[in-house]
Amino acid sequence: MGKINEYNVLRVDLTNEEITKEKIAGENVKKFLGGRGLGTKILYDEIDPTIDPLSPENKLIYATGLLTGTAASTGGRYMVITKGPLTNTVASSNSGGFFGAELRFSGNDILIFEGKADHPVYLSLKGDKAELKDASHVWGKGAYDTTEMLIEESGDEKSRVSCIGPAGENLVKFASIMNEKDRAAGRTGVGAVMGSKNLKAVVVRADEKQVDYYKDEMMKVVRKQTKMLKEDGVTGEGLPSLGTKVLDNICNSTGVYPTRNFQEATFEDVAEVSGEALMEKGYLQNNKGCYGCPIRCGRDTKLPNGRSGEGPEYETGWAFGADCGVNDLNAIVEANYICNDLGMDTISAGATIACAMEMYEKGHIDKEELENGPELKFGSSESVVYYTQKMALREGIGDAMAEGSYRFAESKGVPEFSMSVKKQELPAYDPRGLQGHGLSYATSNRGGCHVRGYMVSPEVLGVPEKLDPQELKGKPEWVIVFQDLTAVIDASGMCLFTSFALGLDDYTEIINAGIGADYSSEEMLQVGERIWNLERQFNYEAGVTPDTDKLPDRFLNDPLPDGPLKGNASKYKEILPEYYELRGWKEDGFISDEKLGELGLE
Amino acid sequence: MIKVKFYSLFKINLKSSGEEYEFDGAITATELISKLDADYDGYFSHKLLEAGEISPGSIILINGHNVIHLNGLNSIIKDGDIVTLFPPSAGG
Repeated sequence: MGKINEYNVLRVDLTNEEITKEKIAGENVKKFLGGRGLGTKILYDEIDPTIDPLSPENKLIYATGLLTGTAASTGGRYMVITKGPLTNTVASSNSGGFFGAELRFSGNDILIFEGKADHPVYLSLKGDKAELKDASHVWGKGAYDTTEMLIEESGDEKSRVSCIGPAGENLVKFASIMNEKDRAAGRTGVGAVMGSKNLKAVVVRADEKQVDYYKDEMMKVVRKQTKMLKEDGVTGEGLPSLGTKVLDNICNSTGVYPTRNFQEATFEDVAEVSGEALMEKGYLQNNKGCYGCPIRCGRDTKLPNGRSGEGPEYETGWAFGADCGVNDLNAIVEANYICNDLGMDTISAGATIACAMEMYEKGHIDKEELENGPELKFGSSESVVYYTQKMALREGIGDAMAEGSYRFAESKGVPEFSMSVKKQELPAYDPRGLQGHGLSYATSNRGGCHVRGYMVSPEVLGVPEKLDPQELKGKPEWVIVFQDLTAVIDASGMCLFTSFALGLDDYTEIINAGIGADYSSEEMLQVGERIWNLERQFNYEAGVTPDTDKLPDRFLNDPLPDGPLKGNASKYKEILPEYYELRGWKEDGFISDEKLGELGLE
Repeated sequence: MIKVKFYSLFKINLKSSGEEYEFDGAITATELISKLDADYDGYFSHKLLEAGEISPGSIILINGHNVIHLNGLNSIIKDGDIVTLFPPSAGG
């Protein structure tokens, strides 16, 4: 049994079908904790950042967080770190469910996949045994069938499966990795990297819980924090009751609910597709939780046609709903299920269709190109289901759309229709209404993303305090703290949603208790800063330079046309220099040597 | 007429989408909450307020603008305004 701050690493050479064991301990664990942090460090040390993300030279790293598999509330997450094919930046995608905890229990804390198998394979981890097995019989199958077949093949119904669907096999640039069928390491195209290696799945079943931490000390903190999560209005009542889709009406009412590819900021049919509607229409069956989670924000749903699954979450419902102008909740849920089964990021999938709809309506796609498919018009519920499938299978126009909205729009000469940052599609908050969140989008290390610094929390929701969404003063500091704290949480293996009730001191306390360390809160936040800077350094070396810290021109040139914030445009450019300065970077946005030295990243 | 919209747990627990009220002249947010309390047995001050202030995370919008950035609970609500209420909520 390994100590909690010593990571057992399984290195899997797919080209030669060789598996070796290593350990990571000491300074790198102290500096990067685990998960997203340690995974980024391994990636940075081991690959040339300029390589093609879909070449055998790329590596795919599964990393559990420092507290994954412990008693920490929500401590069950794992992260997949690689160079991403959508953005060409560092990609790291985080997933819940139970797979991450099982991986930690099995004594395989980090998996490093290298090279490329010459035929489809999967990694089987059972007790002490690690072996690559043939996956030809599940290649081409969706996440649902793959999961069921590989569990049966493992001979133990408690086995956990993380796998790709056909989208990953087909190298869709925003393919996801799915575990427990419906949980996703969703963004940044990690599934395409897995597919490029002919790696279909990882199946894990532990004999015993091989995670050795300071249980007594930690349990005292866990009890306190669980109580905080249960008593908090958001994590104790709001999220369990309505899940993330409570945001539809909040964002629409405040005028930051992007509609029809961000052409508007309120959706006239929100009542048909909101979280409340999901409940009232009877689609919602139960709420469910991941490993060790007292919040339980997951949604089990069932459609009138009998099909069931998980979701939609807020972002998913928005991407196939308001962003495509679609008011048919049934079609939205259907498109969500297709993404889960075929293994595709719901945000990028929906937003790419929304982009294509605007292009079609404005004459940049010919009707003939759709072959006999439905017309790509805003409001077409048929389209969101049809083209989701087409992208995953790379059929017809879906083949070009599978490259993501930016490359697709660029291929037609109109990249400005792609609502993306660093070629990754933006999620469900209009940055013209939220100045801090816009800065967070522009500076995200993995491209357009809301979970790298969720400024919606103070700017809309009033957590931990309410900030004026249009105010610029002070926003760079807030964005920096949110970005760094999020990196700590992602490295810890806990869920980001705990941060609605917990703060920096709480994360420091539970990490110290669990591993017997004595970080100060300041040191802990510096760990986050170190992770953030290393990700950015990787991106520079990959050729993604500070000139990509920008939002699409629409947000600067076209003020919001409707809603309470009508007339506002994004002013992120006014605060970007201050952000660089507060980060300790050079005026041109590159990291200074002093800062690299201060963080131990020379 | 002032339109009050309930969402999230307010809508579900109260089985109502909101209320429409007629007042003589403008009122404050505090006065509106008092009116709602009278109609809903003290429910709204319990859910929205803590020690006389807006409780952390509760959202009171007048025409889409959070009252915190207007004049707090003293914000003025006029005829024709739409007030939207949410209990503490989050997602992402």
